[in-house]
Amino acid sequence: MTARDAGPKPGVVASALRIFDLSFGQMLWSRRSIFLALVVGGPIVLGAGLRLAEASRVMFTFDAPRPAGALIYGVMIWLIYVRFLVPVLGAFYGTSLIADEVDDKTLTYLFTRPIRRSAVILGKYLAYLVCTVLLLLPSVVVVFFLVVPIGRGRTVGEMFPVLLTDLGMLALGLAAYGALFAFIGARLKRPLLVGLLFALGWEPAVGMAPGYLKRLTVAYYLQALVRHDMPQPEFRPAAALLQAFREVPSVGVGLLGLSVIIGAGLWLAAQATEHREYVLEQ
Amino acid sequence: MTTRTRYFVITSLLVLAVGLGTGLVAFYVGLPVVGGGSSNPSELDYVPRTAAVVAYAEVREIMVSDVRQRIRRVVPIPEDGQRAFKEQTGIDIESDIDHVVASLEPQADGKTAGLVLARGRFNEATIETLMRQHGAEVEEYQGKRVMIRTSPSGTAGETFALSFIEPGLIAIGNPPMVRTAIDLQKTGENVRMNSELMGLLGSIDAGQAWVVGRVDALQSGRSLPAGIAERLPAITWFSVSGQVDSQVSGTVRADTRDEQAANDLRDVVRGFLALAKLQAGSRPEMQAMVQSLELGGTGNSVALSFSIPGEVFDTLPSRQQ
Repeated sequence: MTARDAGPKPGVVASALRIFDLSFGQMLWSRRSIFLALVVGGPIVLGAGLRLAEASRVMFTFDAPRPAGALIYGVMIWLIYVRFLVPVLGAFYGTSLIADEVDDKTLTYLFTRPIRRSAVILGKYLAYLVCTVLLLLPSVVVVFFLVVPIGRGRTVGEMFPVLLTDLGMLALGLAAYGALFAFIGARLKRPLLVGLLFALGWEPAVGMAPGYLKRLTVAYYLQALVRHDMPQPEFRPAAALLQAFREVPSVGVGLLGLSVIIGAGLWLAAQATEHREYVLEQ
Repeated sequence: MTTRTRYFVITSLLVLAVGLGTGLVAFYVGLPVVGGGSSNPSELDYVPRTAAVVAYAEVREIMVSDVRQRIRRVVPIPEDGQRAFKEQTGIDIESDIDHVVASLEPQADGKTAGLVLARGRFNEATIETLMRQHGAEVEEYQGKRVMIRTSPSGTAGETFALSFIEPGLIAIGNPPMVRTAIDLQKTGENVRMNSELMGLLGSIDAGQAWVVGRVDALQSGRSLPAGIAERLPAITWFSVSGQVDSQVSGTVRADTRDEQAANDLRDVVRGFLALAKLQAGSRPEMQAMVQSLELGGTGNSVALSFSIPGEVFDTLPSRQQ
């Protein structure tokens, strides 16, 4: 009698939770996580530096207007978190969900378990989501309390609803990028390269171009949930160009778009995992 | 889940919980700022979003400052206006008021309407009685008592209203502005929603007194004398912040429409600085002040910082003699 004949297969949800339990610790203490934790710590170091400069009056002299903390925080959310960290975290982790098991030649151990293959990718996706949320959101909270009190703009209390929106928006962003990259990781060879090209090449390029192509990006829907003004470049023609091509969808469209990306991404990733024949190179 | 994974999860959730808890407390009851700039005065909640100029002064601290005592000794300030205000309203500006927030708002008729929000210790019954004795009428507006004192000549510009909009906070201004301040308690469409003005306010140094404003709004509102308005075509925003204690120090900043205008303005200020240094050469007591003048600013921004030692005020020509 083989293991497969031992009894009925557990459901997809129960199997996914078991895979989550196995994968979460592995994912958290991988070399990738240590590196990304340092990257996520970057904004905290920057925020602490700004706060020290404010307190010691080293950086903000009367030579230039001192930027308000709420504005700096908004710029950091846009440029560091929305435009960089969320897509990069999604690309690094999302594309590795299956690819790492293939590279380590351990995929066989998972696929020979009496569970659906799709439960493997779903459990690993859940581990990715919890891992990245626990890495990123505390960083945002710390940066918020370091940066917002700078200057005499809006206070911590006034900005608190914005912080809540930011946390929700970033968690949704991680979920959407993760689902998309999980599909890429399950379907393509060299998924990390494709993922980084998409996140750091396609999205910024298409986002600035006129037309409908920008709707084929995650950032287009994510930016609908950002409540900070988009930072303007100093170079005036570039600012005018950005203004002309800027098209921010409504919050409803943004939420719908992200939900579709998460749902479709996960379904396609599950389908790819179920049907693809993975070849473990010797 | 291994022990270290459990510790990571607990630490991460703890940071989130403490952060969100602190934010929630700050949202509902406010939070003192540690190591950063001070927060904006709560009276901004009653300043209209469309205000062109907003100013703040810590009246009590300025009144008891060393510099003011020196100025009073040398140049006794006529107190007729203060006395008249006290007789009409029962409010002693010197002792009753802690700080004020004032604003100017351009009106449709081209004029500018002002609003003063004063925080301090006020005897509501005495103030109302005194104002009634001076011909003020009392009306109820949104549950607040608004005292309107119409000028004997009946001119709208001399009519003013006073209302206690919070315990220890009075609003004084023309009647529509005071009613608007009361409305803002409910609508929340206050100056905090004006991101441009709040951004500028956030950029200035904390001080006992500050003013920020939009010059173009004042020009269109014909609030500035024609001679001055013509000479300020390129300035869009201005701000002044200062500290008054044993000396007067502060920064005046002007933002211009473009870099060329800022460079032109810098040239003009440089000329004045050179002239001032020339004049101060023969007056040693003025040299410290002139030496403290420092021109700065980058891009569209022009800044002038100054620091006037208290001793300079002792050398002012005395009007007592």
